[in-house]
Amino acid sequence: MKVQSYSLDHPNTLRNHLAKSNRIYSFEADLTHSTPPLVSPKGQLFAEHENLFTFDGECFRETLPKPEPFALFGVQSCDLTAIHYQDQFFANDPYYQARRQQALLIGVDCLSPCQHGFCPSVDAGPGVKNETADMILHQRSTTDWLLLVCSTKGLKALGGLSLNPANESEFKDRDNRIASCIEQFNDDSHLQQGITAINQNQIPDELWQQLGLQCLSCSGCTTLCPTCSCYGTWERQDSNGNIRRQRFWDSCLYESFQREASQHNPTEEAGERVKRFWTHKFGDNFAQKFGRYGCVGCGRCEQTCPGVVGVHSVMKRIGSDAKLDT
Amino acid sequence: MATQVTPTICPFCGVGCGINLRTENNKLISVEPQLDHPISRGQLCSKGWNSAYGIDPINRITYPLIRTAQGFRQVSWSKALETIAEGLKQILVESGPQATGIISSARATNEDNYAAQKLARAVLKTNNVDHCARICHSPTVAGLNQTLGSGAMTNSAADLFETDLILVFGADPTENHSILGGHIMRVHLEGTKLIVADPRRTRLAKLADTHLPLKPGSNIALLNAMIKIILDNGWQDKKFLDKRCEGLEQLTASVANALEGVEKTTGISLPKIEAAAKAYNQSKQAMILYGMGITQYVSGTNNVIALSNLALICGHVGRKGTGVNPLRGQNNVQGACDMGCLPNVYPGYQKVDNPEVRAKFSQHWKTEVPEHPGLTSMGMTKATLAGEFRGLILFGEDPVVTDPDQNLVKQALSKLDLLVVAELTMTDTARMADVVLPAASFAEKSGTFTNCERRVQHVQQALSPLGEARTDWQWLAAIAQRLGSDQLDWHDSEAVFREITQLTPSYSAMNYTKMDQQQGLQWPCCPDTPNGTPILHIDSFPIGKARLIPVHPIAIDEGVDHEYPLLLTTNRLHFHYGCGSMTRKSPLLERETPAGLLFINPADANDLGVTHRSAVSIRSRRGYVETRAMLTDDLPPGLVCMPYHFREAPSNQLTNTAQDPLTKMPELKACAVSVQPLGAGVTPRSIDEINILKTEGVK
Repeated sequence: MKVQSYSLDHPNTLRNHLAKSNRIYSFEADLTHSTPPLVSPKGQLFAEHENLFTFDGECFRETLPKPEPFALFGVQSCDLTAIHYQDQFFANDPYYQARRQQALLIGVDCLSPCQHGFCPSVDAGPGVKNETADMILHQRSTTDWLLLVCSTKGLKALGGLSLNPANESEFKDRDNRIASCIEQFNDDSHLQQGITAINQNQIPDELWQQLGLQCLSCSGCTTLCPTCSCYGTWERQDSNGNIRRQRFWDSCLYESFQREASQHNPTEEAGERVKRFWTHKFGDNFAQKFGRYGCVGCGRCEQTCPGVVGVHSVMKRIGSDAKLDT
Repeated sequence: MATQVTPTICPFCGVGCGINLRTENNKLISVEPQLDHPISRGQLCSKGWNSAYGIDPINRITYPLIRTAQGFRQVSWSKALETIAEGLKQILVESGPQATGIISSARATNEDNYAAQKLARAVLKTNNVDHCARICHSPTVAGLNQTLGSGAMTNSAADLFETDLILVFGADPTENHSILGGHIMRVHLEGTKLIVADPRRTRLAKLADTHLPLKPGSNIALLNAMIKIILDNGWQDKKFLDKRCEGLEQLTASVANALEGVEKTTGISLPKIEAAAKAYNQSKQAMILYGMGITQYVSGTNNVIALSNLALICGHVGRKGTGVNPLRGQNNVQGACDMGCLPNVYPGYQKVDNPEVRAKFSQHWKTEVPEHPGLTSMGMTKATLAGEFRGLILFGEDPVVTDPDQNLVKQALSKLDLLVVAELTMTDTARMADVVLPAASFAEKSGTFTNCERRVQHVQQALSPLGEARTDWQWLAAIAQRLGSDQLDWHDSEAVFREITQLTPSYSAMNYTKMDQQQGLQWPCCPDTPNGTPILHIDSFPIGKARLIPVHPIAIDEGVDHEYPLLLTTNRLHFHYGCGSMTRKSPLLERETPAGLLFINPADANDLGVTHRSAVSIRSRRGYVETRAMLTDDLPPGLVCMPYHFREAPSNQLTNTAQDPLTKMPELKACAVSVQPLGAGVTPRSIDEINILKTEGVK
């Protein structure tokens, strides 16, 4: 669909309109912070805990969620890229899809770099990509916003709100503002070197072991990572005696994540687990399969890791220790 | 169906991290860290991330229960309270107040703890009130009160970022106080020196500049040697000692022979001790952090004093980035102590044996208060076995799993005429109760927790109490009413806190509003320090001059011998907390380790024919358990180690009750055991299975 563009006095005009037929989840209080929220919208589509089915002793019963239509409002490019990534991973997951079908994604362009973010380095921002959102908000001034509508779903949701079409020249101005934001990002050579080193498999095992020693297996990085999608399942009996199978967010940094029933564990060493995690985020094999790296550059792992093995810390150590083919 | 986010404080360790509870329709959806929290800075450990599981409705106690011949029966609150009141009245009439007591909870709020000691003192008329600080940091309170005049962390968590050297002594902060442990890793990577003194090669020991793997029980020998080296070289801070301390002469004399045999006693070479002493002394700012490896010995109080002596002679007290800093185990163990849930002090450490203090509380509470200090928790156990103690109210604690010598504890609890337990779930201790009360979890109540850096933080209610559960101070007040007292009739938790501030000098200028505005307030927070005190003892000590007190090495109570050739110490795992009643509800944390384990050096394992993850038996003079062996060279040969989280294989079947004479702290860190392999393919039996067989007379 050809992108439609409108002028908007304030995002609240759109929010109030959408609220008539959607439950609104806001992710940016005033949409001008250009800092992603601590917790990404991941849990709105891939629930942290959910029932998969129940068994009452005789019948298995489906427990697919049936949410009312909802809008994720003010989502930044990193998190939208992550949803786009998870759309592929969960393409055949009925629980995810039941929510995803009801979701309207309203993106917002970031116009200044955030503390730990590096979205331009991994092609995930700071401007929202059309294919990742139903609508995109772009700030020109506090009382003058550009609204891009990128999908038929978005266009339909806009129905009934009369807005003035924006001038074509605004597209160019938007591109310029985003380009100037990209220029303000910090040097990312440690990231580029780290990615090369990971894919050339040139990181000494001792370095992974050192990094593993610092990993407390707290699960903070995988919990906050907007693309992490691993889950475990268990059965629980509720107070009525029914058995529920539930799934819950898991973490590959737990020692037990890959442990087999025989107690054999391919990643018993913490260093192996840290290596596995970063290979999943930056491995070329994954990029080929999903069309992009598994990291969207939000930097949440750097901020939440008590062991100082978030993305920047790890990539700086890798970059300085690896012996690269140049 | 709106999503609500309630900021509150993590319910696990004493670090006091900020967490947000995300709820929908009175259901907890997720927890997340608080980005701007002054300590946790947007981080949590595995326990914090998993805290929602800990209070999950499944297996929670939701209504009062009374023991009958047929097992527990659901009753109304009214019936439960009547049973408790009648039971207490009978004991009070027949045996007097000294036959009753309360064990309060370091997991509960200050308001709950204040109410507990008030019920004991103002209504039951006994000072028999204690809590689990007895088995974690009672030697800290006793030791630092003598030397510095205040038994708490002298500095703040933020000081880790302002110091040149960190000396971690007998503590494993990356596992037990993970966010602080993380801060230590961070500043160490950025250049702060790190020395770790620990018999085990902990995570921080592996990362440190220096690891001092001292033999268990040789803390004082090592510390006195460091002091001797510093004094011999004239490195001490003479100005600080002259102006701020007393007792240098006696201390100097007492360490005269401290270097003799120290290598053999501690297992550490003299040059290594010298280098550590020099590095600690000559750093501009150096900070000591310590834990159970100092306190859980018969020499616990003296160990604390020895650490304090070392810090004082170097002048590493009363400045940013310095100090003597106990890492407190429980979310509110500092607060439970502050609130006077100890048999010898009122709130604010005001002494029971001081008539003026008694008069103050008697006047405020409009009732007579008992004169004599009360019994400690282990004192209550012993008095029960002697037939002198009959009625106990206990909440938020599971001594059957966490206290030393499990068989003795169980024997005492089963002998009580009345045991009241308030809990979230059916712990081993709750199973022994006559009346079980449903307790509200941290997410279901308001109040305050005081973290290890003396920061009093606001706990806010995110969910309504499950079923008929009540906040602890509420049911404590209900018992008081049934006993004819309206002294605990508060309107809400803020009213309880207001009374606390009226009677506790170090809390006197606090209130909820200011606490919210300033992200907690660190005591002392008085009229002259209205915004709290991040660093203690800057200009003076509460006792005037700090005291250097000579202490001498004291051997562990039970050394190894032919029959019990291995020394057992105890530790905690990053993934579990205390008796495991909350963390073991998480499928992730529960999956992480077997339900009980013994860490053993591969050389010892090889000698015994024990293989990795195989079943082993462990026997001490007091008990017998079976569990799985984990081979690791993190332990030296001769030393084995068990975490105490697992009810199936409780280390406290084995541990020693020998005590620090002053504080009655049991020696949980060292006892003699023998280990045997149970053979290939054998599954270790749980303690329940072993006990059933024992009852049936089968060996």
